[in-house]
Amino acid sequence: MKAALTLLLLAVLATLPFWLDNAYLLHVVIITGIFIIAAMSLNLLLGFAGQLSLGHVAFFGIGAYASSLAALGFKLTTPFDVTVAPNPVWLSMLAGMLAAGLAGWFIGRLAFKVRGAYFVIVSISFAEVMRLVAVNWLELTQGPMALNNIPPLELFGHAFWKKPENYWLVLAVAVFSYILIRRLVHSRAGRAMIALAENEALATSVGIDVTRYLVLAAVVSAAMAGAAGALYAHYVRIVDPDVFLFVYTVTMVIMVVTGGKGTLAGPVVGGLIFGLLPEGLRAMAIAPEMQWIAYGILMVLVVYFLPVGIVPALRRR
Amino acid sequence: MDQLLQHGLNALMLGGTYALLGIGLTLIFGIMKVVNFTHGELYAFGAYMMYAVVMLLGANFFVALPLAIALGVALGAALELVLLRRLRGADIDTTMLVMIGAWIALQNAEQFAWTGVAKSIDSPFPAAPLVIGPVSVAWNRVFVFFVAIALIALTYALINHTKLGRAMRATFQDRETAALMGVQIGTIHTITFALGSGLAAAAGALLGPVFVAYPSMGDLAAAKAFAIVILGGLGSVPGATVGGFILALVEELGAGYISSGYRDAMGFLLIIVILLFRPTGLFARKERIG
Amino acid sequence: MKPFVAAAFAAAFSTLVVAGSALAQEPIRIGVTQPLTGAFAASGNYVAQGAKIAEDAINAQGGVLGRKIQLVIEDNKSNPTEAVATAEKLISKDKVPVLMGAWSSTLTLAVMPKLMEYQVPMLVETSSSGKITTSGNPYIFRISPTSEMEARAFAPMVKKFGIKKADFLATNNDFGLGASQEFSQMLKKEGVQVGVMETMDPKATDFSAQLAKIKASGSDTLFVTTAVEQITLILKQAKEQQVKARIITTGGSNSPDQLIQQAGEAASGSYHLVFFTPWFPEAVKNADIATRFVEEWKKRGHNVGGLTEGFRGWDGVHTIAEAIKQAGKPEPKAITQALWNVKVKGINGDIAFIKQGPAGKESAQNVPSVYVVKIENGKVVKN
Repeated sequence: MKAALTLLLLAVLATLPFWLDNAYLLHVVIITGIFIIAAMSLNLLLGFAGQLSLGHVAFFGIGAYASSLAALGFKLTTPFDVTVAPNPVWLSMLAGMLAAGLAGWFIGRLAFKVRGAYFVIVSISFAEVMRLVAVNWLELTQGPMALNNIPPLELFGHAFWKKPENYWLVLAVAVFSYILIRRLVHSRAGRAMIALAENEALATSVGIDVTRYLVLAAVVSAAMAGAAGALYAHYVRIVDPDVFLFVYTVTMVIMVVTGGKGTLAGPVVGGLIFGLLPEGLRAMAIAPEMQWIAYGILMVLVVYFLPVGIVPALRRR
Repeated sequence: MDQLLQHGLNALMLGGTYALLGIGLTLIFGIMKVVNFTHGELYAFGAYMMYAVVMLLGANFFVALPLAIALGVALGAALELVLLRRLRGADIDTTMLVMIGAWIALQNAEQFAWTGVAKSIDSPFPAAPLVIGPVSVAWNRVFVFFVAIALIALTYALINHTKLGRAMRATFQDRETAALMGVQIGTIHTITFALGSGLAAAAGALLGPVFVAYPSMGDLAAAKAFAIVILGGLGSVPGATVGGFILALVEELGAGYISSGYRDAMGFLLIIVILLFRPTGLFARKERIG
Repeated sequence: MKPFVAAAFAAAFSTLVVAGSALAQEPIRIGVTQPLTGAFAASGNYVAQGAKIAEDAINAQGGVLGRKIQLVIEDNKSNPTEAVATAEKLISKDKVPVLMGAWSSTLTLAVMPKLMEYQVPMLVETSSSGKITTSGNPYIFRISPTSEMEARAFAPMVKKFGIKKADFLATNNDFGLGASQEFSQMLKKEGVQVGVMETMDPKATDFSAQLAKIKASGSDTLFVTTAVEQITLILKQAKEQQVKARIITTGGSNSPDQLIQQAGEAASGSYHLVFFTPWFPEAVKNADIATRFVEEWKKRGHNVGGLTEGFRGWDGVHTIAEAIKQAGKPEPKAITQALWNVKVKGINGDIAFIKQGPAGKESAQNVPSVYVVKIENGKVVKN
C-alpha cells in the first residue's frame, strides 16, 4: 500500500510541469524544492546527529559561490596571481559540493572541540564571516554587485534555460538526496550518529568513534546543502552576498523543526508548508512582515505544543 | 601617531555601549543559560523607542532616554513571563528555538511598525566636535560614554551590593538551596532577564541617535554581544565589561589599519579564535556549557 | 408594440455598451520594482510616491487608450537577487507589458537578463552606471543621466571651485564605483590630482576609518556617491572628525532637504549634483508641470526632501504612458518600438531617447539636465 502511494506521488510530481500551467507557480515550486533539499541536509546534522548547527546557510552559500565562480571563471591578483577559465556547469556544481563538503569537515571537527551553545555561536559566526568575505572580496565575488549571468546547466549539448527541465533536475536531486539520507540513517554509520545524539557519553563508552561519525554527518550534510546552493545559483543565475544571511538558516530550521526533526519526511513537509505558504499569503495581500511574524509565532507554538513536529504527531494518530 | 590616538578614543567611546550589550547578555546567556536571540531586538527596540518619544511625541531627549530604557526593561520582563516561564527546566535547544521564533516575530513587528526606511533621531548636542589636541570626538559620543559607564556602575552595585543582587547570584549558583532559603526563583528569573534586556535597550537608545535606527540593526549588535560574552567568559560581568572595550578596540584598529570593510567581521573572527584557543574566555567561571 | 421593441432594443444596446466598456475598463498594468526596504529604502519610496502621483494624474485625464493605468509596485529590498525575483513575478504572474526600475544600478543590471529572456522593455529612472546602456540590451530605456554625463556636466565647474586635489568616498556597488571612476577620469583630464578612493558597504553606518584616511590625505575636495541615508551619516561624521575638505555629492539621489533635516549643521557648506531643483522652479524647463507636481506632493503630505527623487517616478510613468498611447496597444513589442519615438515634457526637461551601445543592439538614453546646488545656513542655494 505504501509503495503504491509512493509511486502515485512520484508520478504526480514527475508530470507536474504538464498539468501546472502557470510559469510563475512552477518557479515557486522549483525554489521550494531547492529549499527542501537544504532542509533535508540540515535535518541530517540537526535532527539525526543532534548537532545544533545554525550556520547551515554557509554551506548553501559556499556551494552557490564556488559553483558560479568555477562556471564563470575568475581572475585574482592578490594575494596570489590566479586565473581560472570557465568550466562546464556540471563540473562546477561538483566543485561547489566539494567546497561545501570541505567547510563541513572543518565545522565537524570544530563541533567536537566546542560543544553545545558555544558551537551554536561558532556556527553562526562562521556563516557571518563567509558573508562578510563575499561582501568585501570584490575581486573574487564582485561583492554587493553580485555574480550575474551565471550559465545554466548544460547536459549533452542541451542547456537548461526553461523552467520544466530545471524542475525535473531539482526533483531528481531531491529524490536522490532523500534516498541517500534514508540509507545513511538506516546504516551502521547512521545508527552511530543517532546514538551520539541521544547520549554521547554512553555511545563513547560502547566504543563508537564519536568524532568520526560526527564529521561524516557534517560532511554529507554540508555537501548536500552545497548541491542545493549550486542548483540555486544555476537556476536563478545571480548570486549576491545576502545568500549567506542568517534568515535563510532560520527558514531551514523552521522547516525542519515544524516538520519534525529526526524524521525523514519532516523536512519535506516543513519545506512544502514554508515554501508554498508565502505565495498563498501573497495572494491574500498580507504584508510580508505579517507573514514572518506568523512564522515566528508558529515556531514558538510548535515548540510548546508539538515539540516533535508535525510528521511524528500525525504518525501517533 | 595621531591616527592611533583617534582610533583609541573612538574605541573608548564605543566600548561603553558594547560593554552594556555584553553585560546584558552575559546575565541572560551566562547565568540563566538562555541562548537569547532576542537580545539584538531589544537593542533595536531601545533605539526605536527613542525615535518614537523624541521625534513623534516631541519629548525632551533627556526625558526620552530613561523612558526608552524603562520600556526595554518592561519588554524583557514580558518576554520572560510569556515565553520562558513554561520552559523552565527544558533543555537549551528548546529554549533556543523559542527565542528564534520570538526574534523573527519581534524584528518583523518592528519593520511593520516603522517601515524599512532608516530613522534619524535628533540629539540636542552640537554638531561641532570636542577637540582635545590632535584628536576630536563628537559631543554625543562623549555623552554616550558617560551614561554607559554610569549604567555599568549601577549594574555592579545592584548585583554585588544589594539583597536582590545576592538573591540573583544565589539562584544561579544553586537553585534548590536558594529556594530553600526563601528566594522567589520565578521572580528572580524575570528580573534578571528584564535587567539584561534593559541594558541592551539602553545601548540601543544611546547609539540610535548617534547613527540611525533601522529594522535589522539588532542583528549585528546581537552578534557582537555574543562575541563579547565569549571573550569575557560566560557569566562574568567584569569579563563582559572588559570584553566590550577590547572588541571596540579590535574593531577600530582592524578597520583603521587592515580593512575598513571587515570592521564587523572582527567580532566574529574573535569568537572563532577565542573558542579555538581559550574557550573559557578571559575571566572564566569554572563551568562550561556542553 | 413599437415602443416596447424600441425599449427592448435600447435596453439590449445599453447592456452591450455597459458590458463593452466594462471589458475595456480592465486597467493597463505597469510593473514597478523599487527598493522599499533595505539600504536604499528612502529613495525607493520617494520614487514610488512620485510614480503614484503620475498614475493618478494620468487616470484623472482619462487614462491611456480609454483605459486606466495601474501600477503594480514590488519591493526589491535593495537586493539584486530579490530584484530578479520581482521582475520574474511582474512579468510571469502579473503579465505587465512594461516595467520601471530598479533604482540602483546593481539592481537594474541584475534584472536586465530577464528583460532579454521575456523581451519586455524597462524604463530606467535612476540608475547611473554606464554599463546599463552599453551592454547591448535593446529593452533598456533610460531617462536618468549616466555618471559620465554627470561628470561632463560638472567639468566646467572644476576651475570655478578651484579644485587641486580630490578624494572619493563611494558605496561599493556599480553606482558608487562607476561614479568614482567617471569623476576621477574627468578630474585628471582637468589637471586635478586624485587622492584616495575609499569605499564602504551599502549597509555600513560607521565611516570613521575611511574618513580618517581622507582627512590624512590633505585634499581640498571630497566627492561622495551613495544613498541619502549614508550621506547623512557621512556629513555628520566628517564634521565630527573635522574633515576640512569641501564635500560634493553626486548621483542626484542626495535629497538636500532631507540632509538639512537630519544632518543639521553638518550639512552646511556641502554641494550637491541634482537633476531637479524644486527650490528654483524658474530654472526648470517645464516650470508649469514641475510646479503642479510639487503642489500635489506637498498636498499628499510627503517629505519635501523627497522631491528631488520623486520626480523620477513621475517622469518615468509619463514616458511609459506616452509610449503605450503611441503603440496603440499594451503589448511589450509595440511599446518597445514606440518608446524610441516618444517626446515627453518631463520635470527634468524634455525627454527623448538617443541610441547608445553596440550597433544593432542599442539601448536608449535620454540627455537630461544636471544642476549643482549648495546648502548654506540650513537652506538650499544656487551655486
